[in-house]
Amino acid sequence: MLETLIELAPEILKATGETLLMLAICLSAAILIGGALGLLVFLTSRGQSLERFRAFNLIANGVINVVRSFPFIILLVAISPFTRVIAGTSIGPLAASVPLSIAAIFYFARLIEQTLRDLPRGVIEAAEAMGASPLQIIRHVLLVEARSGLVLAVTVLAVSFLSYSAVAGVVGGGGIGDLAIRYGYYRFQTDVMVITIVLLIILVQSVQFFGQWAARRVDKR
Amino acid sequence: MPKTPSSTLAIELRAVSRRFADPGGRTVGVHPTSLTVPQGEIHGIIGFSGAGKSTLLRLVNLLERPDAGEVIVHGNTLTRLSAAGLRQARHRIGMIFQHFNLLHNLTVADNVALPMRIAGADPARIRERVQVCLDFVGLAEKADVYPGRLSGGQKQRVAIARALAPEPHVLLADEPTSALDPRTTLDLLGVLADANRQFGVTILLVSHEMEVIRRLCHRVSVMEGGRIVEQLDIADGRIPEGSQLASWLSDFGAVGPAASPSPTTRPDAAATPHHFALEAAHA
Repeated sequence: MLETLIELAPEILKATGETLLMLAICLSAAILIGGALGLLVFLTSRGQSLERFRAFNLIANGVINVVRSFPFIILLVAISPFTRVIAGTSIGPLAASVPLSIAAIFYFARLIEQTLRDLPRGVIEAAEAMGASPLQIIRHVLLVEARSGLVLAVTVLAVSFLSYSAVAGVVGGGGIGDLAIRYGYYRFQTDVMVITIVLLIILVQSVQFFGQWAARRVDKR
Repeated sequence: MPKTPSSTLAIELRAVSRRFADPGGRTVGVHPTSLTVPQGEIHGIIGFSGAGKSTLLRLVNLLERPDAGEVIVHGNTLTRLSAAGLRQARHRIGMIFQHFNLLHNLTVADNVALPMRIAGADPARIRERVQVCLDFVGLAEKADVYPGRLSGGQKQRVAIARALAPEPHVLLADEPTSALDPRTTLDLLGVLADANRQFGVTILLVSHEMEVIRRLCHRVSVMEGGRIVEQLDIADGRIPEGSQLASWLSDFGAVGPAASPSPTTRPDAAATPHHFALEAAHA
């Protein structure tokens, strides 16, 4: 096993780099676009300050549900023409980042919306009574009071998409999952399989540990 | 001395109504109701659960939009304002709640500063007002503490400091003592009476606790079934005989299910709100 490890070290390093690249791209897209979408869906829901845009709420909810209905591997294949337009190719980590980002955006939008729903209505109402605009409510209330929940949502997102990124390996997406499939599965190299799984376990544990630590730190409730 | 209620109106509700279905499907709310509160007055609203007290209070800052009628606060017709105009007007209408509604991830000082930050006040001015208001409620040494470390009474004091920070014309209080024990309630009523006296802020307070109303308010509106059924002058702490309120008191001992005989009732039951405020302040 040690020999394999040394022999494949450059491959493993490259694969880890690719996985981290895919994660960085899809997490950024999810946090920026999915986060904004989740906030808007929450604010336009019944009883919230942008309730008058209920039409947006209904449509966005529908779209989120539709995208989330796709098994990831189907989404990956189904949007490959779109992927080719965006990334110029449909293989490699950059190409795989396109379907990963799309899945992550809608996944995170739903996570954020649910996290915000847990906030007591009274705190938002107090801010409304102070004359806060919807943007001020987001900045001064939602992002402040929900911050530990938001950190945990990012943690769940990161762990889920680490695993999704391995699926992208099936269609030549690169990354740790690709390594596991090429060596561990197709070439029956069980030791490579073990190495990749250990690597993934370490990554998941670190993300989870750090996420929970950060969530505790920002939570003053 | 309590600020003598002047003739200028702080709050004027003109035939406001608001109907909605409660979770059980019955229609509840406020029938067309009018109410005027002069500047400097402490005005109570009392009634049983479901009488429409809180709805009426929330109509004043348009947390509830009336189906009909006009809401005028400090000469400003809120019901005719744009969304931005209404936010501007709300900067000068403070509100406190039964469950305090503080932000738990902000320190006490940042909670008090919040309405002024929202109103876009100058940072130096904010620091100054936070200091003044925390001193006023006696919690200056808790400025850097998070609300999770405070008792219920302290939380409500912070909420009062927060409401007073932007120098409001009007303070709306929605069952502010209903989550507190009798002793803490008494302390808090002292703080509210002081705020009225020192800053001249008009207070409109909803409660189902007769003691709270009797000790604090100059006048009281009695609500039943979404209407104000009677208005009484109780500045001397006495409930006029023969009134609806007096008959409820003799029938139920108190108004509302949660009210219990208060251990703080003293023989001088006729203590004026003013006397009471002084005692509480020196307690």
